Amino acid sequence: MRFLKPILIAVTAIGLSFPLVSMTDRKPGAPTAYEAELSRIQKDISDLKDGASSAPSDMEKAARYVHRIYERALLTGSYADLHAAQAAIDRAIGESGPLADLYLLKANLDFRLHRLEKADRDVQALARFAGNSQIIALKAGIAFQQGGYEEAKKGYRLAIEKNSTWDNLARLAYWESKFGDIELADKLYGQAENEISAKEMRSYAWVELERGLLEFNRGRYQKAAAHYDQADKAYSGYWLADEHRAELLGAERKFDQAVALYGRVVGRAPRPEFQQALGDLFAFMGKPDQAKPWHDAALAGYLESTARGEVHYYHHLAGFYADSRQDGAEAVKWARKDIELRQNFLTQDALAWALYRNGQFAAALETIEKALASGVKDSHLFFHAAMIHLAAGRTGEGKRLLQALSEMNPGYENFHVHR
Amino acid sequence: MLYRIKLYASPRAAPPLKDDHSLEALLKYFEAVKEKYLHMKPGEVRVKVDQAGHAKIDFIDFPSGTLSNTIDTNKPVSVQAGGATIKVFVGGRDDAFFNDLPGFFRSINYAPQFYHVPHTMTDVRELPIPKTLIELEGNKLFNFDPVNPKHGQGVKLDLPKGPLTWSGKSYHKDANGNYRFVYSGKDAQAGKNINAIILEIPLAFITQSPQNDRIVNAWGESWVLKASHKVATIPDDRRPFMSRLTGWFTGLFSSKTGFEEELGQYKLVDTDGQAFADAALNEREDERQIGGNNFWLAPHFVTRLAHLGWGFGPSITALGLRTSFDHDNSPISVHRTYDSPILAFPRAKKVIFQELNMPDNKWNKKGLNIPLRRSFEIFVPNVNYIDMDTTGTWPYGRRPEDQVATRFLSLFLDMEAEINGKKYNIDMLGDQSLWDKVKIEPKTPPNPLKNDKPFLKQFPYLAEPW
Repeated sequence: MRFLKPILIAVTAIGLSFPLVSMTDRKPGAPTAYEAELSRIQKDISDLKDGASSAPSDMEKAARYVHRIYERALLTGSYADLHAAQAAIDRAIGESGPLADLYLLKANLDFRLHRLEKADRDVQALARFAGNSQIIALKAGIAFQQGGYEEAKKGYRLAIEKNSTWDNLARLAYWESKFGDIELADKLYGQAENEISAKEMRSYAWVELERGLLEFNRGRYQKAAAHYDQADKAYSGYWLADEHRAELLGAERKFDQAVALYGRVVGRAPRPEFQQALGDLFAFMGKPDQAKPWHDAALAGYLESTARGEVHYYHHLAGFYADSRQDGAEAVKWARKDIELRQNFLTQDALAWALYRNGQFAAALETIEKALASGVKDSHLFFHAAMIHLAAGRTGEGKRLLQALSEMNPGYENFHVHR
Repeated sequence: MLYRIKLYASPRAAPPLKDDHSLEALLKYFEAVKEKYLHMKPGEVRVKVDQAGHAKIDFIDFPSGTLSNTIDTNKPVSVQAGGATIKVFVGGRDDAFFNDLPGFFRSINYAPQFYHVPHTMTDVRELPIPKTLIELEGNKLFNFDPVNPKHGQGVKLDLPKGPLTWSGKSYHKDANGNYRFVYSGKDAQAGKNINAIILEIPLAFITQSPQNDRIVNAWGESWVLKASHKVATIPDDRRPFMSRLTGWFTGLFSSKTGFEEELGQYKLVDTDGQAFADAALNEREDERQIGGNNFWLAPHFVTRLAHLGWGFGPSITALGLRTSFDHDNSPISVHRTYDSPILAFPRAKKVIFQELNMPDNKWNKKGLNIPLRRSFEIFVPNVNYIDMDTTGTWPYGRRPEDQVATRFLSLFLDMEAEINGKKYNIDMLGDQSLWDKVKIEPKTPPNPLKNDKPFLKQFPYLAEPW
């Protein structure tokens, strides 16, 4: 074969790093994926500081610093870290002015902490970015929380049209999961996974947990376990994965393992809702004495939060008093506070259940009808609705709801937590 | 990461649309090219690098077949493939680009270069201010600020409150009556390194008819591993033996090749074809990073050229040069966008169809009857079109020493016009003597004329890293 004079065919300069991500399993003693990520974030935070303790003054560095503080809060799930993130965002905005990036973080944080009015104001401050998919998705999330379900769905779809990112797909998947099309929800979560790169294993694990939850909520424990396994494999050492698995173990009546795992979760992420979950598990096992200290701890945590002026535990308090303490009056008090902030099927359900617990069956019935009118297909909602209808003397409707519930989730009577 | 370089050789076609310069004909041409490209089967060079610093390089679907090699990185090597010797380098080199990128961004009012704009906020990238080669009077957002000379060249400010627009009526002139150039002529990438995949391939390896197939179309792609497939590679003791066996057995009967299966594990994140196709014509949007298959962007190509023309055209006229864009003798650059190519086309017709004059005949080293290229042929499809009978200089390929950023601007020059008895050409804006005569500061070609480090005369051509 005669070769012609060679020519330089292609010089492709690619400014991307070469090292491929690790393909091997974790060695014994090596840090988990969670530990490794946390350590990287901590190091970045430390490197970005100007002095030993002061935040960076350079604007670019300051923005990166705040982002890392916020990422740490999302990673650890610790409310102390979330408060640190809030303080860092506020300080950065105070020093650097209302940068769009920082305002977007602020809006997300306000949304996460149920401060919907503030989140709405933050979004309005970002009006010049109204066409951005992140803003559209955030607005849709606020609409969802305020009971604007169709507006939310429209917003999620528009966000996907603008930018088909995994998180936008996951938002729409969540919507579908609540309004009954579980298969479509799972497909959307699958599409979301397809958009996640190997550099975002925690995001992948999170989606797997959501997919597992879809199965769990239908009583398909083996399938749920498979997703939880996948999440654990993708991102080892994640407390959120352990928390989901602990719930599953409880539902499977593997109580010792569930208790042990919840204990580890509470040790690593000492959030009151996990303490309540462990207390609820003991109560479910018929061990009220062992439940009590965890419930006490959970209640103390919730009340400390509300004493600080925070609102994100109103919903938990309503549920806690209704179920763990069976104190109807207190449950109603917190449920009313919650519903003042956001009118949606979750808050309507919580208030109805609290009213039921307080013996106000007619009011409970009126409220649960509003939640059911949303069209949401949720086993907690259906269970509460069935009990309220039965208590209000509407036996036929109560039985129909119980039948629908058993078809939706044959394992409903097994242990589960309210998310 | 996984990198693909795709190569497809074909004969040099007769110049299309020689006489019919209508929009309908242009769109039909794009359709025809699309058909051709959708049915072609390019060869592929696929590269992956492992943690030990070895690169696996696969030559896929070439006439001699498919084969794989593993080579060391950062070392020029020769690989024997199908009887051919292919030179390969995978590793770090000096950044071969030598553009005043901040200058280009200033010309298109690209906010993220100058202001803190989240990269996801695509609506606040190119602000609705006329694009221009010379500064607009009162364009405080983007004009050079002597108090903050590094603004846009590493220094970013907060995006100011208030309208992100401009309402002036003239170009800025200093006390001496000089315009202010948006370009500085400085190499923004000086002293920087990049990772590179460099190949030197005999044409006979790419095609069985090297005598006829004189055009090589090349483009590159970057792919990132999907999370779902990273998980699949993590050993899983929990997975039952039978399940693993079933997976293996199913794989045996899969209709997909191993290379197709492998690609399914990755996600396309970037493409590189024609220089400036992404930055200038695709507005740097992720969804438009589609490489050779950019046919659906063809109508956008017309509207975008018209949009750029309304900005650059009047500023070229103001400098005393002739432009290929029909701006109705507008005394000032205009910000105008088009939804449809129907209205945009008459304005941009000459930009699209005019032949781009070369500075001399050196490019046509064999003196063959090779037609001058036109912008519509250059940018659709988005591939690097290498004419093997030329020196490979842009737009007949792309040589490292080509100043493609300046050549891109020449699309908006009227190639029928003359200066000093010579027709305008694609290197004219790189001629220092031109700028010496213009009332402008700084008096410099828009982009540097040379790379910061000389290119090598031998493989791998790009200079050693800094």
